[in-house]
Order: sequence, then structure tokens, then C-alpha cells
Amino acid sequence: MNLPDSSFIPAPLWLINVLHLFTLSLHFIAMNFLFGGILVVLSAGSKDRWNDPVVKRLIKMFPSAMAATVTLGVAPLLFIQVVFTQQVYSAAIVSGWLWLGVILAVIVAYFALHRAALKSDDASRSKRAPLVVALLGMLYVSLVYSSVFSMAERPQLIHSLYARAQTGLILNPEFGDYFLRWLHMMLGAVTVGGFFVGLIGRDHPHIYAIGKKYYLWGMVFASGAGIGYLGSLTPYMPGFMHSPGIWALTAAIILSLGSLHFFFAKKFLPSGLMLFVSVVGMVTARQYVRLVKLQGQFDPASWRVSTQWSPLILFLVCLVVAIATVFYVIRLFLAAKPAQPGRD
Amino acid sequence: MGYPFWDIPIGYGILMAFIGILHVFVSHFAIGGGLYLVVSERAARKASDGARLEFLQKLSKFFALTTLVIGALTGVGIWFVIGLVNPAATGVLIHNFVWGWAIEWTFFVVEIAAAQIYFYGWKSMAPAAHMAVGWIYFVFAWLSLVVINGILSFMLTPGRWLATGQFWDGFFNPTYLPALFLRTGISLMLACLYALLVAARYPAGDFKARTVRYTALWGVLGLSATVACQYWYWKAIPAGIITKALQAMPTPINSLHYSFWFAGGIALLLVLSGLLVPRNLPFGVAVLLMAAGLAWCGAFEWFRESVRKPYIVTGYMYGNGVELAQAEQLRKEGYLVRLAFRSGDDDADLFRHSCRACHTMSGYKALKPSFEGTDRAFIAAIVQNTHLLKGNMPPFLGTQSEAQKVADYIASHLEMRSLGAIYGLQDVELGRKVYDIRCGCCHVLGGMDDKTKSFEGLNRGDLENMLDDAENLGEGMPAFTGSASDRAALVSFILTLNGGGKK
Repeated sequence: MNLPDSSFIPAPLWLINVLHLFTLSLHFIAMNFLFGGILVVLSAGSKDRWNDPVVKRLIKMFPSAMAATVTLGVAPLLFIQVVFTQQVYSAAIVSGWLWLGVILAVIVAYFALHRAALKSDDASRSKRAPLVVALLGMLYVSLVYSSVFSMAERPQLIHSLYARAQTGLILNPEFGDYFLRWLHMMLGAVTVGGFFVGLIGRDHPHIYAIGKKYYLWGMVFASGAGIGYLGSLTPYMPGFMHSPGIWALTAAIILSLGSLHFFFAKKFLPSGLMLFVSVVGMVTARQYVRLVKLQGQFDPASWRVSTQWSPLILFLVCLVVAIATVFYVIRLFLAAKPAQPGRD
Repeated sequence: MGYPFWDIPIGYGILMAFIGILHVFVSHFAIGGGLYLVVSERAARKASDGARLEFLQKLSKFFALTTLVIGALTGVGIWFVIGLVNPAATGVLIHNFVWGWAIEWTFFVVEIAAAQIYFYGWKSMAPAAHMAVGWIYFVFAWLSLVVINGILSFMLTPGRWLATGQFWDGFFNPTYLPALFLRTGISLMLACLYALLVAARYPAGDFKARTVRYTALWGVLGLSATVACQYWYWKAIPAGIITKALQAMPTPINSLHYSFWFAGGIALLLVLSGLLVPRNLPFGVAVLLMAAGLAWCGAFEWFRESVRKPYIVTGYMYGNGVELAQAEQLRKEGYLVRLAFRSGDDDADLFRHSCRACHTMSGYKALKPSFEGTDRAFIAAIVQNTHLLKGNMPPFLGTQSEAQKVADYIASHLEMRSLGAIYGLQDVELGRKVYDIRCGCCHVLGGMDDKTKSFEGLNRGDLENMLDDAENLGEGMPAFTGSASDRAALVSFILTLNGGGKK
């Protein structure tokens, strides 16, 4: 019997890429709100901020933001594995234990956020400690992710690291590969966190001012780290400059400045939309960096395409139904009368 | 072979079981618990039963924390683990079923949103709206089972997919329906066990009595469905797989037997503490029920995972990630030329890619006790004939010299003293050990391919001659390469078997 050949992608490459980049952008928005939001809550404002209703609201939102981060992170991880199967698994195996540690770190962070959110007292200690734990957990996750995905762009490095040790305890030792990108991502998260803090506290001048500060300076520092990262890509720059990635990056920069402008004008809808599209642009630019780095070693276009039409259409239908249902349940929740004080 | 190998001191099976069973235990509760909550809420609201609503609210807090945190993340954890321990098989599943997973993800998104709103909306939402969210949660949670069940059951029974390669042929495979109903039954049973854990914290009294009895009924219903569907599931597994398992694989069969015992234990505790004396359900009994439920899940999943040996995808890919379609090519070229990642130690690389997915040297499914006190020639002969051994092992598809390299690797981790010296045995007892190690891997006394009867009437001289000619006695029989003392002891032991060999 001729057995089926599983070396194919079940949809056109462009479609898988679009789904990957779009869902990854959504994941980043949720993660950035969470990471940046926690950082802002921990570092900004006065000592009695823990009694501030906006801060309390933010802390109550964090577990849901974590749920969204995890849930929205599943899809891009799925789609990237379809195209970059060998690269992603190989890099993950070299870092096996550390990669697996991501799950533990997220569970700990998740519980810590629930603990902070469900604590009804106003004592700073009862909230600060779990938030710090959650932040550290997320920092671990971000570092391991950056390391693994930077290795996935360098198959030869994986080969040499694997020859050195097979026990799965290696991070990418070429820190320059990913440190600036990781820093850019983290500062970007602070930027987006500032946006959301300002948005949620828009009717509270002191909170809005904090949001503005973090949005502005986060963007300044994130830009610095981003420029530094681009500088580290010198050998790949010619390829990147000739790819659509440069246009995506340019658009992302312009849109993020536009978003900042509208945010300062308290026009949150255009600001938020521009911010999201700029994240999509950054994610797209990053995808082209990956392709340029892999040039000559792997070309995603080399996959045989064998589209599974009926499951694909069913997925798209389910996606629409799911989005509509999520909006419906959120509407039901928002339509409810707010809980009485003390009825927590 | 296209990936590096994650060489860790613990067995892959243990790692997979730890995360997989925990996930199964929580994720099935996430489905059944959703139904339990909304159906019970409806009844409580209808009866204006405030105490019961308060209980359900407490349960939903436990439910949300357990399912959203542990359930969701162990689910992602399974993904992480399978990508590490069997990237080739994960690649096969991803490429064939990515849309299945993507569909499940859309349900998962709704599930997560609805679970949180259900939990946070107890006090603020109107009853009808709150229950609507509860129903939405349950429907989408169950739909996610409908989808993932297709991929899980595919691995054991890919059915027509092996001929067509079509998504739906693999998805709606021979065990799809029984597995779906079985898992639905498990979900109901686990909903009861978790709810009893919360109910057991209440003081003895009328409320506790009616809540525990009502919940125990859910458990009895779920357990009955589970047991019935488990039989259906067993019958749906192709006869060839079952026959092989019964002949040569104690692990899945023992696991199945354990699952019956655990089911019996759950039934007994539910009837005694849940239905007969519900007023005083002690917390310890509820914990015991949870432990029995977890053990049941473990036993069943262990059966499901191990019964498909030697395959990870039956009839398509072996447990060590080698596709059947590559077999011919591998026999010609060997493994080494196809290993994409090399550590610089060929012996170790060959061992990792051919054996290490299931075996460790001295931990899980240890090879040390199987080979200690033997010799390189014997080990190499066994490596070349793994497909003949008990336990349904995948064939070794490398070259003869590669088998020798694997043997060298294994031998380098063994004490190369005589069996008598290692175990402090002599005479017949030493002979029994020699038999177990050199013969028992294919000829199990009282079990698979038992040759005891063929020894009847043979004397020491006949048996000596037989050992001299061992390599010509049948397919894959290795020459007897043990020491003279091992040989004499083995003969002495075989001479004791003439009564029927049931020792």
C-alpha cells in the first residue's frame, strides 16, 4: 500500500502566513497589555495607589488578560509549526527543559494573577508580591521564546549546539542574536501597557497622565532598542531592504507615531486601531527578517500545497461563529447591572 | 531522524503521562463540570434554592481556577511535550490536522471567554443571561472534545486514511464514535467527583445530603456510560491490534484491568457514601474518589497509548518516529546517513533514535536488567530482531554494523561480569535468570511463544546440542554466546521445565 505523504501544507502558504501573523499580533496585544500593565501598576503612582479604583480594576482584569494571552498564543504557535516545522521543533528540543519550563512559569504567573485579583483587601503587599511573581514568570517566558525562535532562524547554530549537549538545557548563547529584539519587545509591551492604562483611566487625570508617560517613553526606548536590533542585522540588511518587510516596518513606525498623536488627543479609537495595525506591521517585518535569515537553508515556498478545502472552510465558519459568540457573551456581561459594593 | 534528540534521564512515557493524564483529568471535568453547573443552576433557580446557588458559585470558582489555569495550560503543555519527544509524529499530525486543531482553537476561545464570564457574572448578571452563558460554555467545551477526539482516536485507528490520506477519513475513524461517547461519560463522572470534593467541605446536614446524593447520581450515570462505552471502544479496535496486545503486551492489558478495578472502587464509594449515607460524606472519601478517578484516567490513557505499539500512528509511523514508508530505504542505507543532527558519537545517536524513545538504560523501561551479564554479540542479535521480541517493538531498520554500534553503546553502560557474579546466583536459579534474559525476551514461560513443550523428553546432551545450534533454530534466534557456567545452569533449569513449564 502506498502510504500518504504528510510533507505538505494544507492551505496556500499566504493564507497560513496571514493567519499566523494576524493571530500573533492579537497575542502580542494581549500579552503587552498584561506585561506592560503589571509593570505600570508596580512602578507608577503613589504609595496608596492600591486603593485607586482604576488600579483595582486593572488588577482584576489581569487574569482575563492572561487567559487571552494564552488562548491567543495557541493559534500562532499552531500555524508557525505548519510552515517552520523542522526549525521550530529542532530549536525547542535543544532548549527542551527550558522550553517546557514555559508551561510551569505561565501556570505560576496565572495563579499569582488570580491571587492578586481575588484578594479583597487593600494591602499593597498582598497584591504586589503576586504581581512581581507574575512579572518574573512572564520575563522568563519571553526570554525563552526569544531564544528559541532566534535559534529557529539559524539551523547551523542548532547543529553545533546539539553536538555540544543533547540534554535540552541550552539557551541561544549568541545573546546578540536576540537580546535587542527581546528588549525591543519588552519595551514595546510597556508602550502598549501605557496605552491601555491611559485608556482604562481616561476619566482619571492622574492615571491618564501615567498612561501617557509610559506610552511616550516606552515608545522612545522601544524605538532605540529596535534601531539597535536593526543595526545588529547588518549582514541581512540588503535582503531585508529588498523585501516587503521594509515597507511593513515603515508603515508600522508611521502608524505608531499616529497612534501616539491620537492618544494625546484622547481619540482612543483611531489611536487603538493604529496601534494594532502597527503591531501587525512589526510582526510582518519580523517575519521577513526570519525569511531573510533562513535564505539558502529553507524556503517555505518549497512546501507542496494540498489544500484541505472542507476543513478549511469549516474553520473559517467556526472562527466567525466563535467571534460572534464571544461578542455575544461579553455583551450579556456588560449589559448586566454592576455588582453592588461588597458583593465580590 | 530529521530532528535533534532530547536525551533526558527520565522516560518519555513518564513525562507524557504526567502532563497528559493531568490534562485529561482536568479537561474532561471542564466539559462535564460545565454541564453540571448550568443544569444544577437551572434547578436551583427554579426551586429558589439559595443554598444550592451559593454552593454552585463556590464550585464555579474552583472550576474556573482549575480549568482555566491547569486545564488550559496542561493542554498547551501536551503540545510542547509531544513536539519535544516525538517531533516527527507531531509534524504528521500538524500537517494533516491543522484545521482540526484550528477549529478546536475557535471553540477554545469561546470556552475561555464564557467560563470567565460565567464565574464573574454570578452576582451581576440576570439569571437567564447567566445560564445562557453557562450553556454556551458547555456546548463549546463539548464541541472541542468532538474535534480533538478525532485526532486522538486517529492515532490508534487511522482507518481509511492510510489508503486515501484524506482529512475526514482519518478524523471519522473506526474508534471515533465510541471514544467520543466514552469521553463524554468520563466528563460526567469527573464532574461528580470534583463537585463532591467541594460538597464534602460542607457541614453534615440536609443540604449536604441532598447535594451529595444528587451529585452522586451524576457520577453513577457517568460511570455507567463510561463502562458501557469502554466496552464499545474495545470492540471497535481492530482485532489484529487486540490479538497482538493479548499475546505479547502486558502493559495495555494490565492497564485495562486496573481501570476496571478503579471503576469498581468509584462505583462502590459513590453508592456507599454518595447514595446511602450522603449526609456525612467525609472529605477524605471525596479525596479518595478523586484519586480513584485520576487513577482510572491514568489506567485508561495508559492502555490507549500503549496498545498501539509499536506505532505512534498505527500502520504509518513507529513509536521512534520512523515512517513505515521509509523502511525499505533505511534497510538499504541505514540510519546514520539520514540523521539530520549528529552529536559526534554515532553509537549514542543510533541508540537514541532507535531505542531511546521508549527505553532508558536504568530508569523507565530499563535496558540494563535486560542485558546485564550478557555480551555484545547477544545484544547485537537482539537489536537486529526487536520486532520478534515480546512487547510489540518496532523493527530495527538500520544496517548490521549499525546494530553492532547500538550494541556497543548498550554494552558500554553495563556491568560486563557474569550473571552469576552480578546476581549472586548459581545452578537452577542462575539458569532461570539466564533463561529470562537470553530466551524469555521471545519465549515467555506460560505466555508468548512458550517452547516448554518442545523440551519434553530431551536430556542434557540434547539440550547442549540445541544450544550449539541455536542460531539455526528459527527466525532471529541468536547463537548462545553465554559463558560455560551460564550454559550449564540454563540446561539445568530447562530440565526442570519438563513438567509443563508454568514456573
